[in-house]
Amino acid sequence: MARVPLPRPRTVIVVAAAALLVKRAMGRRVQQSPLWPMPALEDPISGRGRSGLGGATLRLLVTERQEAAEGVVQLRLTGSELPPWQPGAHLDLVLPSGTIRQFSLCGDPADSGSYTIATRLIAGGRGGSREVHEQVHEGEEIEVRGPRNRFPLVDAPAYVFIAGGIGITPILPMLRAAEEAGTPWRLLYGGRSLASMPFVAEVEKLGGPEKVTLVPEDERGLPDLAGALADAPDDAAVYCCGPDGLMDAVAELYAAGAPGGGLHMERFAPGGNRHRTGVNGAFEVELRRTGATVDVGPETSVLAAIREQALPDLAYSCAQGFCGTCLQRVIAGDIDHRDELLTDAERDDQMLICVSRVYGDKLVLDL
Amino acid sequence: MLTRQYIDGMSNTAKAQPAPVASEYIPLKARNVDFEWSGTPLHWVPGDPATTHTINVLHLLLPAGERWFVHVYKQVLPFIRDEQLRADVIGFIGQEAMHSQAHDEVLPHLKELGLDPTPYTAQVDWLFEKLLGDRTLPPGKARQWWLMERVAMIAAIEHYTAFLGDWVLGAQALDRKGCDPTMLDLLRWHGAEEVEHRSVAFDLFQHVDGSYRRRARTWATAFAALVFLWQRGIRFFMEHDPTLLNGKASLREFLRAGREGVLPRTGAIARSIPAYLSRTYHPSQECSTAQAVAYLARSPAALAAEAKMTPARTTGGA
Repeated sequence: MARVPLPRPRTVIVVAAAALLVKRAMGRRVQQSPLWPMPALEDPISGRGRSGLGGATLRLLVTERQEAAEGVVQLRLTGSELPPWQPGAHLDLVLPSGTIRQFSLCGDPADSGSYTIATRLIAGGRGGSREVHEQVHEGEEIEVRGPRNRFPLVDAPAYVFIAGGIGITPILPMLRAAEEAGTPWRLLYGGRSLASMPFVAEVEKLGGPEKVTLVPEDERGLPDLAGALADAPDDAAVYCCGPDGLMDAVAELYAAGAPGGGLHMERFAPGGNRHRTGVNGAFEVELRRTGATVDVGPETSVLAAIREQALPDLAYSCAQGFCGTCLQRVIAGDIDHRDELLTDAERDDQMLICVSRVYGDKLVLDL
Repeated sequence: MLTRQYIDGMSNTAKAQPAPVASEYIPLKARNVDFEWSGTPLHWVPGDPATTHTINVLHLLLPAGERWFVHVYKQVLPFIRDEQLRADVIGFIGQEAMHSQAHDEVLPHLKELGLDPTPYTAQVDWLFEKLLGDRTLPPGKARQWWLMERVAMIAAIEHYTAFLGDWVLGAQALDRKGCDPTMLDLLRWHGAEEVEHRSVAFDLFQHVDGSYRRRARTWATAFAALVFLWQRGIRFFMEHDPTLLNGKASLREFLRAGREGVLPRTGAIARSIPAYLSRTYHPSQECSTAQAVAYLARSPAALAAEAKMTPARTTGGA
């Protein structure tokens, strides 16, 4: 190594003095604004929280537990200054076992002190309703997330509501909203027997016999869906919630050129339902930027189809709708969201292609 | 056994080669965890704000940082020529995405407790989104260089996340101090997954580039950045903690916490440096997969995630 000559004392003093000055100037600057000198992102991303937009996690007290009908338990969950909600919204309940189930809010949106939900015990169900019936008691705390709305009530000149059994829960606040707004509405409400149908008294009080048609199966058979749709005004919005059979029948009637014409159907589909009953349609996905078209069969996911037929390196990970890696922007298509992650705002034009599908037969992705 | 394949494929004339320990390999999957923060106090290491905030810096850096990992790795996928490694990287991406989400959830809670982290996290966001983002580079060499540089940086950072993960899994002193169980579960679930996937970032770097000079250079950058951001984060928290008068971060506290075992010891941190820079280094030589797997088998968050795996959706109220 070459010998480095010793610096002259004067140089040492000058350098040391300069270093000291810089240090003091930095110290003053940092004291003024402790986060100097890094710039900040104008629109920060971190800290908004997954639930920040989709609804925060809350611990609520079960203050009331009553039987709303045969086999139906109604819970009142009390807190303070609860996030507001609109008719059609649901709540995620974290049950004692850790499972998460969604329940439609059926109380009054103006009440910011409590949420009301109702659930029917389904024999041989997946245990979610059983857990609520057997393990959630008055005076206990329960963790909830939300509310979120996948079934919003759109503005329409008239409404036709079709509910089957416990499917009345999201409809009930809609009836109140429609009644308050003075919009004409009709309700066709079916169930196994009058005693098993929740909120019959509330519904009748709201509408009276000219607006409300109750169809308990043991007395009057199955509801006349075709008739209800035929009698609807041309521009009425149809809202339907109930068992899969009912929803599919309404969808079929509607797809087959529903009487009345100009009707539009808002589907209540926290997707899983249709998925579980095996009603998974086949459709086509156009990848706009790639310039390719991919066929998605009923047994495969959008993600798998795209990876097999067009883009093998497309990123994904959990393939179950929670990690968010496969998020894609949607250019066209009526998305059937089946994930647990996205917020309502994100759902407008984005989807997780590992689980979510599409209503209809065509989806266009910005890919 | 499996890790071996994709390392042998690279061209490396040097005699000293990374030596993976095959028995430490484990297939990866993301876990759909969720944490409930409302019961966690501000000083979740009771009576020790300095340690609390030193560990809290993780919540400042990780949401943006791990989001960036995912962003970079999505771009690397097409360069992977090994199916096993591709599967590992895909598992890695999902785990990192969940880490980012999980730590992000803590931030609103800190804000509720009167300690708003946004001024700091907005800067971390800038660092990862802008400074280390995609930048407008011409396609071809420049873009490739920048991608490889970031892949190497992630490998260096992962060396430290695995180090910290292994440490927190064995840090009994945190239990003895009576730390908040939810926060401990977050740290240990995260730590365990970091240990599980500790080889992936390094293997990926070796697979797509593998240059020792790049490894050393990016280690220096990453280490300096971590030290800078960490001390800055501790100072930020200590100064803004609403319950502390004149809160100050100090090196003495850091050394004291290391001796108590509630933070890693300075000596252990120092020893991790030559480890990474050794030419025969492979992440599987450090940390214990068995300890990580054992924790994941009893972590409340991981168990709840397991329970959720049965598809769960209920309309109206069924």
